[in-house]
Amino acid sequence: MEQAIVAAVKGIVGAEHVLEKYEDRYCYTYDASAVTAGKEGVPALVVYPGSAAEVSALLKLANEHKFPVIPRGAGSNVSGGSIPCAGALVMVLTRLNKIVAIDRKNMVAEVEAGVITAEFQTEVEKLGLFYPPDPASKAFSTMGGNVAECAGGPRGAKYGVTRDYVLGLEVVLPTGEIIKTGARTMKCVAGYDLTRLITGSEGTLGVVTKAVVKLLPLPEAKKTMLAIFSDMEKAAETVARVFMAGVIPTTLELLDNIYIRNIEAAVNIGLPVEAEAVLLIEVDGDKEVLDKQVGIIEGICREQGATVKVAKDAKEADELWVARRSAFAAVSRVRPTIIGEDCTVPRDRIPEMVRIIRAIADKYNIIIAVLGHAGDGNLHATILTDERDKDEMARVEKAAEEIFAATLAMDGTLTGEHGIGLVKKKYLPLEMGEGGMMAMRAIKKALDPNNILNPELV
Amino acid sequence: MQWSELEKEVIRCIKCGACQSVCPIFKELGAESTVARGKINLIRAVIRGDVDAAGAGFEERMSWCLMCKACQESCPSGVKLDQLMLAARRKLAEDKGLPLLKRLIFRLGLRNRRLFDLGMSMGSVFQGLLLRPAPGGKGMLPRLPMGLDERRLVSPVDARPFRSRVPAVVAVDNPRKTVAFFTGCMINYVYPQIGEAVVEVLKRNGIAVVIPADQHCCGTPVYVNGDVPTAVELARATVDTLDGLEVDAVITACGSCGAALRKEYAALLADEPGYAEKVAALAAKTKDFAEFLAEAGLTTEMRGLAATATYHDSCHLARSQGVRRQPRQLIAGVPGLTFKELKAPARCCGAAGSFSLAHYDLSRKINDHKVDDIAASGAEMVVTGCPMCMMHIRDGMNQRGVDGEVLHTAELLARAYAGEKATERNG
Repeated sequence: MEQAIVAAVKGIVGAEHVLEKYEDRYCYTYDASAVTAGKEGVPALVVYPGSAAEVSALLKLANEHKFPVIPRGAGSNVSGGSIPCAGALVMVLTRLNKIVAIDRKNMVAEVEAGVITAEFQTEVEKLGLFYPPDPASKAFSTMGGNVAECAGGPRGAKYGVTRDYVLGLEVVLPTGEIIKTGARTMKCVAGYDLTRLITGSEGTLGVVTKAVVKLLPLPEAKKTMLAIFSDMEKAAETVARVFMAGVIPTTLELLDNIYIRNIEAAVNIGLPVEAEAVLLIEVDGDKEVLDKQVGIIEGICREQGATVKVAKDAKEADELWVARRSAFAAVSRVRPTIIGEDCTVPRDRIPEMVRIIRAIADKYNIIIAVLGHAGDGNLHATILTDERDKDEMARVEKAAEEIFAATLAMDGTLTGEHGIGLVKKKYLPLEMGEGGMMAMRAIKKALDPNNILNPELV
Repeated sequence: MQWSELEKEVIRCIKCGACQSVCPIFKELGAESTVARGKINLIRAVIRGDVDAAGAGFEERMSWCLMCKACQESCPSGVKLDQLMLAARRKLAEDKGLPLLKRLIFRLGLRNRRLFDLGMSMGSVFQGLLLRPAPGGKGMLPRLPMGLDERRLVSPVDARPFRSRVPAVVAVDNPRKTVAFFTGCMINYVYPQIGEAVVEVLKRNGIAVVIPADQHCCGTPVYVNGDVPTAVELARATVDTLDGLEVDAVITACGSCGAALRKEYAALLADEPGYAEKVAALAAKTKDFAEFLAEAGLTTEMRGLAATATYHDSCHLARSQGVRRQPRQLIAGVPGLTFKELKAPARCCGAAGSFSLAHYDLSRKINDHKVDDIAASGAEMVVTGCPMCMMHIRDGMNQRGVDGEVLHTAELLARAYAGEKATERNG
């Protein structure tokens, strides 16, 4: 990057908020995905803007000098979507870390992009309010990143995902205009729904600097239970049956034996390591209705041949959730490279999907563990491999392609909550079709004529 | 060692970023290269040939680790960042050599116990030239910029080291148990009163104490800086000194010394023939003072202490040795004492031995959170199990004008036995 541009960037954000050293910049060549830009993709600069105005000035500068800009939060995304290209400016939004307002009367909150998701949740919960989206990375992910990726999480089965809570945004468009989308009201049909367009756009259509989100009353109580199955098929079938009985659990998580064993090795809380599958189920709501819900679910699970344990107290329930959250990394004890797929199918197709995943693993002689937010059909087929083994990696790629094809054949989607990013870019046309891709490219071109924001993703 | 030998460990980092939520250095600096994920990926980059290990940038980033193990505790893949940092620092020391001052202290001074003893006692005489008493008798402040920050409150080296003050065997009538006390350097040279309190409290509880005369530095300050050959020598000397003693336990009263004896020696002496068994036996026998006392049980009633106290978890006591419950149990058991928890008791105080010399401003910023937490607790006393933490927390409280005393668990208990009222402030 030319010295004059570097000087201009420093003029905008202050020299102390710019990283120039090679080693510092190198550390932005990766995110939480298995992809890395490597030496060739080391960004030219890393900057930490302190306001939407600074973001705007940086983007105007980028348009003037035609360098790419990659917005980034905590880099905890697993899509490869915040990985830079050579010559790029990485824009880290963690300095924008204020909770602007928590409005109890209207049950909305306004947060800056860099606020840590779990810290925000702790604050609203102190006031008896509830912000449900709970990605596994919530202890360190940012709200802006959650909006840009439309993060999900286990509670999606009942409460939906980030998009269902975003009422409005402050966004800096790729050309530098600062706009406000949506409103602070539950209802708003003025103009195109730019809020939803930006949410999940993976930093290609604008930089989110603030979000207005909807809050719910904090459920009075919750109960967590563990249903233990000796037959995976039965466990998978149970998922749809629970919903058919008229109960919507907060979360309904399916874990296979590989996950159970490795989580137990990591956290040691007495999970049944012999079980073929477990369903981790939580219900929430008013105290009076919880036992009834638990009873219905317990009955269904037993009919399906499971043994059921209900957590006695908050501590036992917490242990189960800590265990669940450590799942993804716990299986990295098996093989060093973890590729977490994110294919999502209608929940009645889960048994079929699990069968197909297992058949594909056998066919290519690789290990695929299965875990999923089964309540919303969001399966994480997890390929346990070793990136240093080129032959195996080739088989892994073929297996992934077969999983994608099977998902689409079942009216599913390639990604429920992780995003397309660089990781699934080449498969997106399979789902969107030529027309869909054309529409998206037209939107990108209209908003970002110089292809400044995250250009590699589109 | 070759960098490529570390590949096995570094590729276990799945780059999830969980370390961001706990790393004290990242919380201050905010750059990815300062958090565990970043440092691991820099080592990976060296293996790939993307980053030059000989460059100053890489070495500086490898120095940005407190060895507090907070990231390890929260790492779902169980990546051992401290072992990676140690390996990296070792490799850098091998390839580039240590800075002159560290080389002199580690190689010439520490390898020779008598010379080190002499140096420390001369230090106690000459330190007056370099240090001036801080106002209010709180400690000493440097007179000159000599690598120590001039604002920094340090505790003076005592003219009479602990081990010259006590007999080699402190006998009691009908001892319940006999322990060997491994004092460590901080207690021996800087805070002999902690050593005296340890002996006093054990004595009151019917425990005889042996203080082996040949003991020396445990090696922690040396191996965290990458000087493995010197550390191996010190570790061997420590094992040889403590091996075969007819005692029920070896007691430490310093988080880092205990962590070295119990956890670190196994890796450090892995290639030393004949040491595996001795190291394992020593690790099994070593207990922290508070841990040992809580397990042995108190046989004598304390008179009590009317005070409000809180407790700071030393990283190497809590996370390395798993000692959290026992000191709290002892402190809360003091008659008349009110115990208050800190909001984040196990958050690193930022001292980390020579880290606080090399990165004083950063270690102060990290310490500010601890001092704020202490101030908010309303406690008049901060108790902890590590003399290094004590020195750094005292310095922080002094600089921020926060009142209160900083005591070792043993000192608090000794006072509770004596039944004296807290009068001496902050030092």
